[in-house]
Amino acid sequence: MKESSSSFSFQINGKEYVAYPGQTILEVAQANDSYIPSICYHPNLGTIQTCDTCFVNAGGEMVRACSTKAEPGMKVDTLSQPVKDAQYEAMSRILKNHELYCTVCDNNNGNCVVHNTAEYLEIEHQKYKFEAKPYPPDHSHPFYRYEPDQCILCGRCVEACQDLQVNETLTIDWEREKPRVIWDNDVPIDESSCVSCGHCVTVCPCNALMEKSMLGEAGYLTAIPPSVLAPMIDLTKEVEPGYKEIFAISEVEAAMRKARIKRTKTVCTYCGVGCSFEVWTKDRQILKIEPQEHSPVNGISTCVKGKWGWDYVNSEERLTKPLIRQGDEFIESTWEEALTLIASKLTSIKEQHGPDSIGYIASSKCSNEENYLFQKFARAIMGTNNVDNCSRYCQSPATAGLLRTVGIGGDSGSIRDIEKSELVIIVGANPAESHPVLATRIKRAHKLHGHKLIVADLRENELAERANLFVHPKPSTDLIWLSAVTKYILDQGWEDKQFLQNRVNGLESYIQSLDKFTLDYAEEMTGITKEELIKLATMIHEANSACVLWAMGVTQHKGATDTSTAISNLLLITGNYGRPGTGAYPLRGHNNVQGACDFGTMPSWFPGYEPIQDEQVRKRYEKAWGVSLPKDPGMDNHQMLEGVKKGKLKSLYLFGEDMAFVDSNVNFVDTMLEDLEFFVVQDLFLSKTAQFADVILPAAPSLEKDGTFVNTERRIQRFYQVLEPLGDSKPDWLIFQELANHLGANWNYQHPSEIMDEAASLAGYFAGVSYERLEGFNSQIWPVAKDGTDTPLLFEEGFEFADGKARLIPLEWTPPFEAGDEYDLHLNNGRLLEHFHEGNMTYKSEGLTHKVPHPWLEVSLELARERGLEDGSLVRLTSPYGHVKVRAIVTERVTGKELYLTMNTREDEEAVNRLTSSYHDTVTHTPNYKEMSVKMEVLEEKGESPLPKVNYRFGNRLPQISVRVEEKWKREDFTPISELFELGGDEFGESNQAN
Amino acid sequence: MAKAIKQIRKEAPNPEAEQSKAITDIVAALAENREAIMATIGIVRQLHDMGVLDTVNGLLEKRVDVGVIAVQQLNQPNMHNTIKNGMNAFNFLGQLNPEQLQTVLNGVGQGMEKLAKNIDKHEKVSLWQLGNSIRNPEIRTSLTTMLGFLEGMGEAFQGDKRELH
Repeated sequence: MKESSSSFSFQINGKEYVAYPGQTILEVAQANDSYIPSICYHPNLGTIQTCDTCFVNAGGEMVRACSTKAEPGMKVDTLSQPVKDAQYEAMSRILKNHELYCTVCDNNNGNCVVHNTAEYLEIEHQKYKFEAKPYPPDHSHPFYRYEPDQCILCGRCVEACQDLQVNETLTIDWEREKPRVIWDNDVPIDESSCVSCGHCVTVCPCNALMEKSMLGEAGYLTAIPPSVLAPMIDLTKEVEPGYKEIFAISEVEAAMRKARIKRTKTVCTYCGVGCSFEVWTKDRQILKIEPQEHSPVNGISTCVKGKWGWDYVNSEERLTKPLIRQGDEFIESTWEEALTLIASKLTSIKEQHGPDSIGYIASSKCSNEENYLFQKFARAIMGTNNVDNCSRYCQSPATAGLLRTVGIGGDSGSIRDIEKSELVIIVGANPAESHPVLATRIKRAHKLHGHKLIVADLRENELAERANLFVHPKPSTDLIWLSAVTKYILDQGWEDKQFLQNRVNGLESYIQSLDKFTLDYAEEMTGITKEELIKLATMIHEANSACVLWAMGVTQHKGATDTSTAISNLLLITGNYGRPGTGAYPLRGHNNVQGACDFGTMPSWFPGYEPIQDEQVRKRYEKAWGVSLPKDPGMDNHQMLEGVKKGKLKSLYLFGEDMAFVDSNVNFVDTMLEDLEFFVVQDLFLSKTAQFADVILPAAPSLEKDGTFVNTERRIQRFYQVLEPLGDSKPDWLIFQELANHLGANWNYQHPSEIMDEAASLAGYFAGVSYERLEGFNSQIWPVAKDGTDTPLLFEEGFEFADGKARLIPLEWTPPFEAGDEYDLHLNNGRLLEHFHEGNMTYKSEGLTHKVPHPWLEVSLELARERGLEDGSLVRLTSPYGHVKVRAIVTERVTGKELYLTMNTREDEEAVNRLTSSYHDTVTHTPNYKEMSVKMEVLEEKGESPLPKVNYRFGNRLPQISVRVEEKWKREDFTPISELFELGGDEFGESNQAN
Repeated sequence: MAKAIKQIRKEAPNPEAEQSKAITDIVAALAENREAIMATIGIVRQLHDMGVLDTVNGLLEKRVDVGVIAVQQLNQPNMHNTIKNGMNAFNFLGQLNPEQLQTVLNGVGQGMEKLAKNIDKHEKVSLWQLGNSIRNPEIRTSLTTMLGFLEGMGEAFQGDKRELH
């Protein structure tokens, strides 16, 4: 926060207001609920200066409140006649571009900025005749439309696209006689570089850009066919006594809409960023997703999945009844039958083979409360620590690396620190596609504020293209260059000596361990030149704050924990911990990977990372739960499947996880799942994993229940029930409770808040967490003290060890898995923007499927030339473990003999994990998904491209800063409003100055 | 050994059972709201006898066509005037002070009575008599009031003109 000493006061309409240096008049007014009209200004976007409705008299000059800084002693008047006349003129000009037919407009929901401003300014008549623009509406995009006739050319959409999302697709062409918003070089929206993030639609202050799902649905009268609507609008305009009456009617109608449109806050489930927004529903129909300025992580930002990808909730394919395997088919059953069967089977297996013969796999897609209850079920009711979640497939090595060095296995700070950081280093991650909203903040800081960006990756992804420095290491060699850069920094004497002396242990032995990581060795092993390494080190040295972001490109290797540790070592050596804008950020892939781990679905930890083996901790839980608990850590996911092979594990209970697709080497996984004596799966759909089950329980997704998630920042956020569970499906927590009660537990949780209360009373990190404090858009970042104080930035005081000091850990490089010489192509793989994982949820959206119907294989230009490949060629890839058949895309994103296969498929023969192995990180058992080589056979040289031309990857961005309002001001038909209305001295309180 | 399978044998919803449950629900609702339902039936019968239901049915079935015609009819200059005049009349009524209006209307009422009597008399009045009636205080009050009215009206006319500049 800014210090109060630097604040000053000034007056608006004779009243004193406190302002801080740099604040505009409009910002101060809005912060104090003093209304100044403003249409183009949006707090998340800043000043645009196109609408001119915010003209005020500041110290005798007619100025825009949005672009004029408040000054000490300044006197501002917003009410005198010349000011009102200027604002009225601005609004009249806007209405030349916008027809007011509010009652039959789907945007008339009480929050239409144009409507509300026109009403405030008491617009009575159209001063300038409305003129339609000579362009038809653009309905080409599956999710939204642009209606030029309604577009007021405020440029909010352009600002959002250029400088907040930073996709750089939209511009306003001020050159033409009738300006309009254009996509790329004026192509239909669907064929542009638009990533469908929805920013432009969300910020549009009227109905020019609208969600198609709203059209004809939001209003009572908006479904009227055009043949009736057009003459109705004419009639209204002809007979209207003035707009006042129209506004009165439209307000009544807007109020009526609230009776049938429900707005409910929820948290997105498509990645770890944790965007929150309101869902608008009419019965079960989802009308739109509306992010809010005050959404703590994302403001008004969303990505294509969060904004549009919710059709799966109402999918015909949802499971609505429990299913029991009988021979070669599943038959529908009642809950009573299913739960009784599960209870008796689990009991008999437990009695026969012991409690550790059953494994429990939790879901990083489900809530904290559900994960808490599931581990309680495994530990307290079933007597085993064999409980794990899917972080085992992704971020466990990052957690382990951080626990070793700084003591807390989570992001060091929040998204605010990432946007503040002078230097962001991204290693093995593709945030622009996997964490899109987080990436927008990096892109914005880079574009507008000159922050530096370094990307180390095999692929030249979007952030790599934008980076100040992009380095391409040989696969699996990150530890080497990280260590070499650290060594170079030490050799130059650039380390943070004071920080190391006061706050870090193990410096001596660590420095010794770096001996071999010379620049020469690093250049030879990683392929990154010495110059690049020195530049990298120099950039880190020159930045006052740096943070490192990483993901699966680091963690899905045999040496993953060590590479994560090397990142943390580098940050410690340079003192980049514990200050704003610094720290380590392992980007969590799923909405609640962090929370699943935090709330105890891990084989060796209770909730809040307290060890199972700590007797005192165990006693605390035994007392609270009234049972005695198993002392030894249980099996992780990997060990469970190994256990099946060894005959130790007989049964699995899994919820919300499609491990038969997303675990590595699914050939092996499938065999193990087939071998289970009894397998329970709880899911929304008949997933590949569920197809192996003996009993399938129909679960309810986030929109059908209450709960909380923890995002990658450690931020705990509430989501609220929007819809009733579909059919007989039930929230996961309720299913666990009912099953526990079939096993005699006698649990009686009425609401997830009671589960959170129990967890908060037991786990220190969450002591002050409660549903009351998380009400609405409030959030808490753990550790949360009993009084509710949370911790957005870690390690400001000390590190999470007894002496408060961090630990430098000496490391050895682990060579990657080698498939053998005949497998001559390196296979990289991962997610993509438009689909979530294998696509069980996102393929239910027609629009998303239209944009990306299939997975694809990226091949380099060189390889394409060598093997005669083109977009659409069909190839077979073979690894030592299996093979897949996929179509290629030739792209510069990959180079040489490196391939990239996307994972968005539900077809066995396209699934990348048919190719991956069962090797894993030595510490955490996370599979080495990123260490595989394959050989390629061309099956068909020509074929249909797997990516349609309507995909943004074929678009043509037009980068510029903001909307270029100067070009509007240069137009011949533009007269500055300040020239039209002269001020005659002190206007305040004057009565009538009619022109 | 449990192979991956996709086949689900759905309990085919039994149409007869579903229908019979629906009927039970409906009958229960009818019984609970017996009086309201009986009254409604009476109303519906009347509407039917009058042919209203047929008309409404036709309107609903052809609602878009009818809507187009209706809006087109409304969207004529004459109708514009009617609607505008209607709205102006409402506005005018809103501007009047009820107490003043009351006084004036009382006056008009009594005036009408006198007027009717005078008409009944079929009297011829000479100019002299007419001049003399100015002496009558009631007539003087009424004339003064009328002059005030004319003055106000004139102000409004001139005000309109001034605003044109």
